[in-house]
Amino acid sequence: MKELINFLSIPQYAFTSLLILFFIGIKKIDFVGSKKFGKILFWGTIIFFLWAMTDSVFFATISWPDNIPIGILIAIVLWSTWFSIHKAVENDARIAKGEPPIEGTPENREKVWTWPNLVYTELFAIIACTIFLVVWAILFKAPLEEPANPTWAPNPAKAPWYFLGLQEMLVYFDPWLAGVVLPGMIIVGLCAIPYIDINPLGNGYYTFKQRKFAITTFLFGWLVLWIFLIIVGTFLRGPNWTFYGPFEFWDHHKVVAENNINLSEIFWIKLLNVGLPQNIFLREILGILGTIGYFASVPLITKYWGKNYLKRMGNIRYYLMIGLMLVMMSLPIKMYLRWLINLKYIVFMPEFEFNI
Amino acid sequence: MKREPGMAYNMKTLNKVFAVLSIVFMFATVWMVLDDYIRPWKAVQVKALEIKKKVLLEKVKAEETSIDGEKVKAAQEAIVAAEAEIAKNEENLKELNSKLSKAVKAVYVQNMYKGVVTSQKNATQYKFEHAEDAKDKSGAKKYKAKFDELVETEKVAVDELKAYQQTESQVRAEITKSEEALIKAKKEMDDLVGAKERLLTAIAQTDKNPVWLLRNSPFIDYLDPTVKITQYVINKVHDDRYFQAVPRVDRCTTCHVFIDQKGFEDQPQPYKTHPNIDALAVGENSAHPIKEFGCTSCHQGEGHRVNDFNAVVHTPRNEEQKKEWMEKYHWHEPHKIPQPMYRTQDTEAACIKCHKDEVRLSFAPRHNEGRELIETYGCYGCHKIDGIAGWKELPKPGPSLAKIKGKTNKEFLKNWIWSPHTYNPKSKMPAFFNQANNSNAEFQRLNIAEVNSMAEYIWSKSADYAPFKKFEGGNKEKGKQLVQTIGCLGCHEIAGVDAPYDSVKAKKASYLSAIGSKVNPDWLVSWLKKPSHYDPTTIMPSFRLSDRDANDIASYLLSFKNTKFEQMEFTSLDKQARDELLLEYFSQFDTMETANANLAKLSDEERTHELGYRSIGKYGCYSCHNIQGFEPDRAPIGPELTKVGSKPVEQFGFGHQKIEHSRHAWIEAHLEQPSRWDIGVPKPFKDLTKMPNFYLEKEEIQAITTYLVGLVGDKVPLLGQNRLSANKKLAQEGKAVAVKYNCQGCHKIDDWGGYITKAYEDDLNQGPPYLVKEGHRVQTDWLYDFLRNVHPIRSYVKVRMPTFNFSTDEINKLIAYFQADADQGTFVEMDEYLTWEPGEKEAAKKLWNDLACVTCHTGGFNNETPQAPNLHFAKKRLRPTWIQKWLTNPSAMMEYTVMPNFWENGTISASEGVLGDDPQRQIRALTKYILEFSYDRNPQPWPKDGQ
Repeated sequence: MKELINFLSIPQYAFTSLLILFFIGIKKIDFVGSKKFGKILFWGTIIFFLWAMTDSVFFATISWPDNIPIGILIAIVLWSTWFSIHKAVENDARIAKGEPPIEGTPENREKVWTWPNLVYTELFAIIACTIFLVVWAILFKAPLEEPANPTWAPNPAKAPWYFLGLQEMLVYFDPWLAGVVLPGMIIVGLCAIPYIDINPLGNGYYTFKQRKFAITTFLFGWLVLWIFLIIVGTFLRGPNWTFYGPFEFWDHHKVVAENNINLSEIFWIKLLNVGLPQNIFLREILGILGTIGYFASVPLITKYWGKNYLKRMGNIRYYLMIGLMLVMMSLPIKMYLRWLINLKYIVFMPEFEFNI
Repeated sequence: MKREPGMAYNMKTLNKVFAVLSIVFMFATVWMVLDDYIRPWKAVQVKALEIKKKVLLEKVKAEETSIDGEKVKAAQEAIVAAEAEIAKNEENLKELNSKLSKAVKAVYVQNMYKGVVTSQKNATQYKFEHAEDAKDKSGAKKYKAKFDELVETEKVAVDELKAYQQTESQVRAEITKSEEALIKAKKEMDDLVGAKERLLTAIAQTDKNPVWLLRNSPFIDYLDPTVKITQYVINKVHDDRYFQAVPRVDRCTTCHVFIDQKGFEDQPQPYKTHPNIDALAVGENSAHPIKEFGCTSCHQGEGHRVNDFNAVVHTPRNEEQKKEWMEKYHWHEPHKIPQPMYRTQDTEAACIKCHKDEVRLSFAPRHNEGRELIETYGCYGCHKIDGIAGWKELPKPGPSLAKIKGKTNKEFLKNWIWSPHTYNPKSKMPAFFNQANNSNAEFQRLNIAEVNSMAEYIWSKSADYAPFKKFEGGNKEKGKQLVQTIGCLGCHEIAGVDAPYDSVKAKKASYLSAIGSKVNPDWLVSWLKKPSHYDPTTIMPSFRLSDRDANDIASYLLSFKNTKFEQMEFTSLDKQARDELLLEYFSQFDTMETANANLAKLSDEERTHELGYRSIGKYGCYSCHNIQGFEPDRAPIGPELTKVGSKPVEQFGFGHQKIEHSRHAWIEAHLEQPSRWDIGVPKPFKDLTKMPNFYLEKEEIQAITTYLVGLVGDKVPLLGQNRLSANKKLAQEGKAVAVKYNCQGCHKIDDWGGYITKAYEDDLNQGPPYLVKEGHRVQTDWLYDFLRNVHPIRSYVKVRMPTFNFSTDEINKLIAYFQADADQGTFVEMDEYLTWEPGEKEAAKKLWNDLACVTCHTGGFNNETPQAPNLHFAKKRLRPTWIQKWLTNPSAMMEYTVMPNFWENGTISASEGVLGDDPQRQIRALTKYILEFSYDRNPQPWPKDGQ
């Protein structure tokens, strides 16, 4: 069993399974939002963790002081995602019956006083949080380590948990992309959402059916691309950033065979069996064309799929959205290219520090 | 439940939640404070108070038994009587006391008045000077007048003050006088019981009374706690904080409370007193006071941490202690710690960090032992170790193979390389083959081909050597006697010698156990006669043997045979294995095709020699032996060990061995069985670990480990280094020469060496003389001449001073060493000893006769067997100041000497009525007398060929 889980957690299998589960979940959203599923999820997770904790390696990883907040975080993410879907599914059922959403019923539209209803409860939250932090700090003391030594970095050297998704992206992308361009695009993209998304449906109440595309896209980027990468980066990456299954001992000397090659090498050497051309643009022509082609495929997408959106959103909003979508999708695409054909870079031009 | 309008929640419920949260918050806060307050080291300090109390109580008890009750009673009575006397004069005393208080008041008031006047005077002076500077003439005049006036006033005030003070002291004297008897009685009492009372006061300070509690309670303990972290900031050793070196901070004394106080030697850790506190470390007057060196300068570890036992990175000394600590303190292997604490037994490892220039450290026997072993086994041959004083001068550890043909035979060479310990169980040549990583049939087949080729190569490169003497047979028994007595045992351990000679066990040169199975007899005789004839670079000296003696010794040594070894027949060369290996070398950078072509170009012999050459390079034989065909400056094959003590533990390969992950554990395991790291690793033949097995004893391994873990990369600031003066540095160079030629093997030089003297414990006079302040004893020119042309000094001693093959530079360094160690200059002022004062010469003659010097110093006076050196050669050899010092107290310089202490350290006259019974004058006169009859030359040197 443990071996099977270790095997299934290897990023390519785990990611693929997650992808499939995600889309099944979207299809069967009513079931996912049901209380029954919530119970299964809750008890399933608890039973799994109780069982897994009996394994010393798993326990050591999960109970390492640095990892505890991430564990808590994942639990909260699971709970809040299910809870919002649950609410949305309830509302969707009401809307289908012609009733207003729960948030829209007359008793829920009544207004209450800020004091004490808000301010007092906020004070509770503050006190409760302080208690939690104090107790936590007592029980799990901040480790006192030796002074930082630039010539002797810890192995694995991990970023703070919220950056571990980015750090995991470094496995697949050039630092320039994974460290600068993509994070920049994420921030800009998130800022742009209110301006791109002008659909008033779903304001003030939970719904899924009315905002299917928006929610699916968000959950895909959030759960599949971001949370998943954080989990992998936190729990499954050990010394030398090598992959370790949840029940696998972090052996510093684990050796993995990883020989990645560039698209240009696959094309010129493997397929055409000639040397690499001297001219770097000629050398990288396939990657350059492919990349241009990828971003130029918008008209095609529009033709078959986005006509209604284009009409509703207008040109600027629509093309911005498609651009951001394409950038987002480049992450799983590159991941799969790495897993399937050991691809290092699509375009490899270290002469310009341009590697994608 | 019905809700009020405008309310989402019930107010009462909200209040309840608030109440619960507040209470929990309060508890959390209290918990936080307690968690911060309760620290492991505080418990240690509280217990230390109890221990201190116990120790003090014991002292009080000891004190009590020594107090004489009768005397106390008498002192008590004296006090009562004195008090009664004073009571009689009560009126008078009262009056005196009131006078005193008046006088004190007057002095006080006058002092205040004088202060005011003085400050006004000074202020006016400033104003006057300022006005002058500003050219304000009228102002200057005004202030000058006022200043003069104030100067006068001050004078008067001071005079009055002096008068009052006088009165006060007069009154005080009167009071003291009237109480004199009482004060004296009280002083007597204090002499009797004062020590005990002071101890009781000290005990009272260990009480945990309410004030103590208050001072150490939470929130208040920042003011003036008694339980607190103590620390030393050390400038002599720095912590490398990677971008800056900062003074080290040691807080070890927070728990090791009594480390610098005597009287706690028997307490358990951490309450123990530091050993050797007065001379070596910690003590105020020791070489390394704690205030200057702290603790971690020597012990290492994270001395600034006080969290708990493990934070400091204590290292257990052995498995037992490790187990004990695991139970007691949850000890675990340190993580990410650059320098854990040294094990107790490794503490001397730290010495070399600051004592870089010294060849031996008088206070660090284990360090010296480790160093000596590294020199003996020649670790420095394969491993570069930089910055160690004296190691650049060391010769290659193994003998030269440049003329091996003349010494032994090829079959011996092969078997020897294959298994040196079969021939000689104490061989210093390590075993490369038959180890855990190369014992399978396939690897042995290849190894055998390598050994064959190496031997062939060495043989082909060896020059011819024709011994200049023939072995003519000799008297074995006489040979044995010679071997035992002339000094061979200073360097060689030799099989079959009798007690007490077998106790020496010298390791400098090879163990001679089966010479008969090894060498060509003619070679042996020639070698014994003149080692440099065979090898001009050898350190083996000539003992000036006659042909007869050399033959006797040879016949004794040749009688030792190792029949088992002689019967070994080495498997002949497997040409296929040889070619396989060669192909592997050739195809390193070329294709198989090219490699085959290159191989085909070589003749059969060339192939063998090629593999021999490459194998010698592979196993690093050239690092220890001089082999023709290898450049002398070819880099050694082992990894550099200059900073092995700082190498991160993560960088040591522990393979599949279950060994504690620490530097010392790795080094010990490595020295015990170097091939172990290959066990369970499917390595190809060419990548096998090549470090050979020395079959070291456990103690040897531990001493070497201690030395190696001390080779750290830390930069010690100049302030912390033990920097030697130019003279002392030169002395260390000379000491290195002494190490090279093993002078200390025979001579005890001050407090160092003299290993052969173990055989002479019955009568040290028959052994090589101790060299105590030799630089002061002998003259520079004499020593230079003696080391070149050895001549007889103590003809009654059988051990011979050999004739070494010193270079001029080496002799000069040796002389510099002896002189610097004795703080002695080069030149001798002889003139003042060559003129007599009136009557002095007659007195000297009388002394000479009275003391019967000739009884022992017979040389040149009669023909009886001498028991002491011939004094006719004293003038060229000895320094007059030394002769005087020697005469004053001979056994202070040489503990075993039979020379009588005539003057008993210069306190009594040796001969009544001579020179006014002044011992100094007598000694001086006798010195002059000896110098006068001495010859102006040295004795004839021993003939070098022993004829």
